[in-house]
Amino acid sequence: MNTRRDFLQTSGVGFGWLAFQALAQAEADAPLAVKQPHFSATAKRVIFLCMRGAPSHVDTFDYKPKLTAADGKDGRAPGTKLHGSQWKFAPQGRSGLPMSELFPHLSKRADDLCLINSMHTELPAHAQSFLKLHTGNAQFVRPSLGAWALYGLGTVNENLPGFVTIAPPSLFGGSQNYGSAFLPAIYQGTRIGVDARPIAKAQVRNIAPPVGSMAQRKEIELVQALNREKLQRDQVNPEVEGAIESFELAFKMQSEMPKVMDLSKETKQTLAAYGIGEGNATDDFGRKCLLARRMVEAGVRFVEVTHSDWDHHFKISKDLPATCEAVDQPIAALLADLQSRGLLTDTLVVWSGEFGRTPHGQGADGRDHNSKGFTAWMAGGGVKGGMRYGSTDDLGYEAVEDKMHIHDLHATILHLLGLDHERLTYRYAGRDFRLTDVKGSVAKKIIS
Amino acid sequence: MKTIPWVLVSVLLTSVSAQDAGLKQKLEQGFTTFDLDHDSALSAAEFNTLGEYSPKLKGRPQVVDYLFHTLDANRDGKLSHEEYMNIAAISGGAKPSPEKPALIETPSTAEQIAFFEKKIRPVLADKCYKCHAENSEKIKGGFVLDTRDGMRRGGDSGPGVVPGDLVKSLVIESLHYTNKDMQMPPEKSGGKLPDSVIADFEQWVRMGAPDPREGKTSVVKAEWDTEKAKNHWAYQPVKKTAAPSVKDSAWPRNEIDRFILAGLEAKVIKPVGDAQPEALLRRVCFDLTGLQPTPEQVDYFLANHDSQAFEKIVDALLKSPRFGERWGRHWLDVARYAESTGKDVNCLLPHAWRYRDYVIESFNKDKPFNEFIREQIAGDLMQAKDSRDRGLKQIATGFLAIGSRSLNERSPKQYALDTADEQIDAMSQAVLGLTVACARCHDHKFDPIPQNDYYALAGIFLSTETLYGTAPNFQNLKASPLIELPTDCGLPRMPLMLTQERRAEVEKDLTKTERYGTMQFYATAAKGVLTGKGFNVNNDPQKLVMFVGINAKIGECKTELASYDSEGRQKLLAMGVRDYPSTPSSGPPTKPKSVEETFRMIAGRPAQFSSINDSPLFARGDVEKPGAKVPRGFVSVIASKAPAIPSRESGRRELADWLVSDTNPLTARVFANRVWHWLFGQGIVSTVDNFGTMGQPPSNPALLDHLALRLQNGGWSMKSIIKEIVMSHAYQLAATHDAKNFEADPENTLVWRMTPRRLDAECIRDAMLAVSGALNLEAPVGSAVAQIGDGAIGGYPIKSLRGPLSDEPFLAASSDFRSVYLPVPRNAVPDALTVFDFAEPSAVKGSREVTTVPSQALYLLNNDFVAKQAKRFADKLLPLPENQRAAAAFKLAFAREPTANEAKAAQRFFADYPRLDSDVLTSFCRALIGSAEFRSID
Repeated sequence: MNTRRDFLQTSGVGFGWLAFQALAQAEADAPLAVKQPHFSATAKRVIFLCMRGAPSHVDTFDYKPKLTAADGKDGRAPGTKLHGSQWKFAPQGRSGLPMSELFPHLSKRADDLCLINSMHTELPAHAQSFLKLHTGNAQFVRPSLGAWALYGLGTVNENLPGFVTIAPPSLFGGSQNYGSAFLPAIYQGTRIGVDARPIAKAQVRNIAPPVGSMAQRKEIELVQALNREKLQRDQVNPEVEGAIESFELAFKMQSEMPKVMDLSKETKQTLAAYGIGEGNATDDFGRKCLLARRMVEAGVRFVEVTHSDWDHHFKISKDLPATCEAVDQPIAALLADLQSRGLLTDTLVVWSGEFGRTPHGQGADGRDHNSKGFTAWMAGGGVKGGMRYGSTDDLGYEAVEDKMHIHDLHATILHLLGLDHERLTYRYAGRDFRLTDVKGSVAKKIIS
Repeated sequence: MKTIPWVLVSVLLTSVSAQDAGLKQKLEQGFTTFDLDHDSALSAAEFNTLGEYSPKLKGRPQVVDYLFHTLDANRDGKLSHEEYMNIAAISGGAKPSPEKPALIETPSTAEQIAFFEKKIRPVLADKCYKCHAENSEKIKGGFVLDTRDGMRRGGDSGPGVVPGDLVKSLVIESLHYTNKDMQMPPEKSGGKLPDSVIADFEQWVRMGAPDPREGKTSVVKAEWDTEKAKNHWAYQPVKKTAAPSVKDSAWPRNEIDRFILAGLEAKVIKPVGDAQPEALLRRVCFDLTGLQPTPEQVDYFLANHDSQAFEKIVDALLKSPRFGERWGRHWLDVARYAESTGKDVNCLLPHAWRYRDYVIESFNKDKPFNEFIREQIAGDLMQAKDSRDRGLKQIATGFLAIGSRSLNERSPKQYALDTADEQIDAMSQAVLGLTVACARCHDHKFDPIPQNDYYALAGIFLSTETLYGTAPNFQNLKASPLIELPTDCGLPRMPLMLTQERRAEVEKDLTKTERYGTMQFYATAAKGVLTGKGFNVNNDPQKLVMFVGINAKIGECKTELASYDSEGRQKLLAMGVRDYPSTPSSGPPTKPKSVEETFRMIAGRPAQFSSINDSPLFARGDVEKPGAKVPRGFVSVIASKAPAIPSRESGRRELADWLVSDTNPLTARVFANRVWHWLFGQGIVSTVDNFGTMGQPPSNPALLDHLALRLQNGGWSMKSIIKEIVMSHAYQLAATHDAKNFEADPENTLVWRMTPRRLDAECIRDAMLAVSGALNLEAPVGSAVAQIGDGAIGGYPIKSLRGPLSDEPFLAASSDFRSVYLPVPRNAVPDALTVFDFAEPSAVKGSREVTTVPSQALYLLNNDFVAKQAKRFADKLLPLPENQRAAAAFKLAFAREPTANEAKAAQRFFADYPRLDSDVLTSFCRALIGSAEFRSID
């Protein structure tokens, strides 16, 4: 059986038998227990704002005055023309970070943001790059970033899942993007909702009890009585011990999870700050962001929130502002909220799509896929605010300075969590696997 | 409008010679002219534009492409000035050909040898040999430079030196420090060499790399030592050993027991006592059929539980159709069976279920395992008794077609190689327990499987057409045909009909779309935007979407029409493989005449992979780096006699014969070990899919060989070997804990007891249906996926196309049929299965994990399906007198009476309720279903 115990026994660690047994027991009993990071961490938890569809970097966070100047000139692809951004950029905050007018709210938090203008990845194809962004590998089924983080650190609140993903797409790799692959199943992400439906009515699967809580408690007590009886008969049976514990955890989880998901106790001001309200363009993403804040506050290690509408091949002049509007205020509110609760210092917020878009136009009013250069940003969690890291060329085609590949992004995120991406390994099928495979380097310059 | 110097270009690409004094200047001029975005580099697009202006290159995009990639030494997708200037070195009048790079090899003169001895050898010895010589401690990158052979052959990255070719000689590239990943000598050995030394090396390569150093390199590029690795236990012939003598001669019931007991006695371990009859019956019923014993079976066995009665029960279980459903599912784990393509587009595979049914039937009919394997690899090439047999043999090859695939892969070449790779991976792990696919990019790191072996196998699969179906859609340009089974084969068909009205509607749609497509096609073609690469409508994305939409619509209509016969019944279709023709194919159209043909030109399988052919060895697995062709063949480390492959066939038939040949030691061992694993919860080799050096050694090698021989000599009967194991004393041991034994052998590898096991997801779900009385033992025709038909899960949100297909119905899939018949789409496997560690169907999985996590408890407490079964279970108890209900429930759920404590717990439970209505009983029943005992066997 490919159990953790099996792994421990075959991994060649030089412990004596007793040490191994103790370790195996600890592992088997509490795979989610808090583990020490490799070194002291600046971030304890992550909120990953995943912008599916590939946001146009030159219109949002990568200020390209020379592209504006070259507007109408020939683009790099045959027959295309360069399109300068239709939106104005202006310096914001004390840092003077250039921000697009598409993000009026987030502009006020410019000093929190570390813009990584030099992102790049291999393929300008959504599915492959989306998987790469999440698992570091588009070809094979590999554990997700969130699963690795949970495997490395455990979780502080076992009454909640340690890795939650809010409204992921069912396409583009689907559940692989939050799966645990060969890592034990407990590290996989718990899905809430799906991209195509509003989050307001979404629920975790099998979380709602079919009977009242008193009745269920009685039911669980009967289960546990039967389990204890079996354990006594068997003398030693870790499987049954695990089962007893899992029912207690499940019971706590199903009472805690709905509480975390219930936004009705939030103040009117908070709801308004996130832009939550029927008919608001910001309502859905506002709810998602507020959920994310409530989750990390309750001790969830890794929360991912997806917005799925960034693939602007045409009608970009109308659709991009709409998408930006949907996320701008909620994200700004999230940062402010985290800060006012003292959570921003050790919560890493990451914003990224799977790649960016071309500086030249596609048709009269659109931009095509571009994997050679795009922008992600980070805030909080020990990252320097108000800075631009790396850059693309003058037009925004490709990353040229301090290039940051997806593997580097992963290595950096793990580093901020106190994990050495080269030491965070799992032995499977006869070899040690890493999130970053054989690549990845930490962008030390962005760490404060 | 830019003025393009025509004359320059034609000069540039027709007659350049390195001696031409004006050449350099002309090259410079060309560079600045075509560097349209002035980034001091030529992108592929810019270089293509250059090609458009050259009479020699115009209309020959492959040549332009080849030139570009050859020049792009650091593979960053653009040509730096320096890279571009190398054009002089490689054109030289010789036509570039991707198949045969020109090599200039003339005998070296004494002067040239002197140059080598004076300028080159000392540098190599001083700077390189430490890490790159035969006797280096660890050879870096699998590359040695101390022999001519080694230097030319190169290492993991490609050839070190190609005489006369500066660009392809990686040694030169690394000396220049242009490629970040390959800079030599490294900093710690003194860093980059002086320019003058680099110039010497360049001159040396240009003069043909004269090199007097003799000696074949036998460099081991991987971490294995050939001879030592060949001695690995798994590659040795299966050995017949007489069953050992044992001290306690009364204990063994058959030969298996003597092997087991000898192992235990050697460690002074005494096996525990026999299992209680109830436990043994429950164990053997679940193990052989996946279902718990019925109350009648329990009564019978408790009344006469001697070994004869047990044998009778075993025989009956093996004869039951439920056996095939249980053991077939085991094989489906190994075969990574699923009903959608997974990965990016995740199209449904509505005909995959035929393979599932074939596997179940094979186990039920006790098809000899060697035949079972031969059919799955080459059933299409085998003789058939009649049309039903023909149909089944064709369906068997579905094994090679049901793997996951990336339908959105843009490069047709890459797609072809990935398909073959997936097949090699599945075949080698499933049958041989070897990870041959690890040798795609380099020799296997741990096992003696050279890259050559991989491409010998790849040739076989690249000569094979994989037919998996899928309807074209917005992201799927890779739909394939399916196999039409003989109409008189008598195999079941899905009761799906195409009504007259629907047919007329689809035909009308098709005609309309085709007409519209033709019009748009010619309008576009007339504007000259139809290029060798497809529609050049980049500047009009809506137009591209329109063409993709037309293509998808036409494909969708044609798929639908082609799926039904003239009477409107769904045709008998199956997934599988067949050989490509032996004559070279013309490949996809190059001058398309319709929208469909244009997309075939873009996405169709390349001609080089559309006929019977050997595969080139691709350096680093890179499709753009084909090397010499490798004759088709098998895994060389297995010294089994390899049949010759006829030039007009793929070689699958020979591969199939070789796999199951008596001299191949792996196939029988691997399967015997799988059987042991499925009966004991762990294999004699615990890494059931990996018998290589990174796998675990067998805990009892003699027993493994005994079982392998029994399999081979017993006509490869699967049922016989299962029965022999089940009839052993070892299998019938109790699951009792024993502190002393546990200390000596905690993992129970020597089998001093039966390891208690958690049931599989399917067994748990079937057991719920069984206790509720709702289990429908009939085998359904087809599956829920077949009912839905073609489509991609998640769909694509383009409104003109079919709406997105939700994964929800699959996740929540429920029926009263046995679980083996639930839908299995990749990334949308039903909750009921995934929650209890179903085998992830992306790859071969002979051993499932066993986890205990809160999501399982949540499922048992809150899921609708569980609630429904608990309610049905309760309804059966309701008519009984109140004081008999608990006992009856225990008998149904656990095949035993409640203990005193359990009876008390049940009383306590009921005592709190004033009235024992259906809800209370449902809650009670759910608790029994949720208990650990319900999902375990001792």
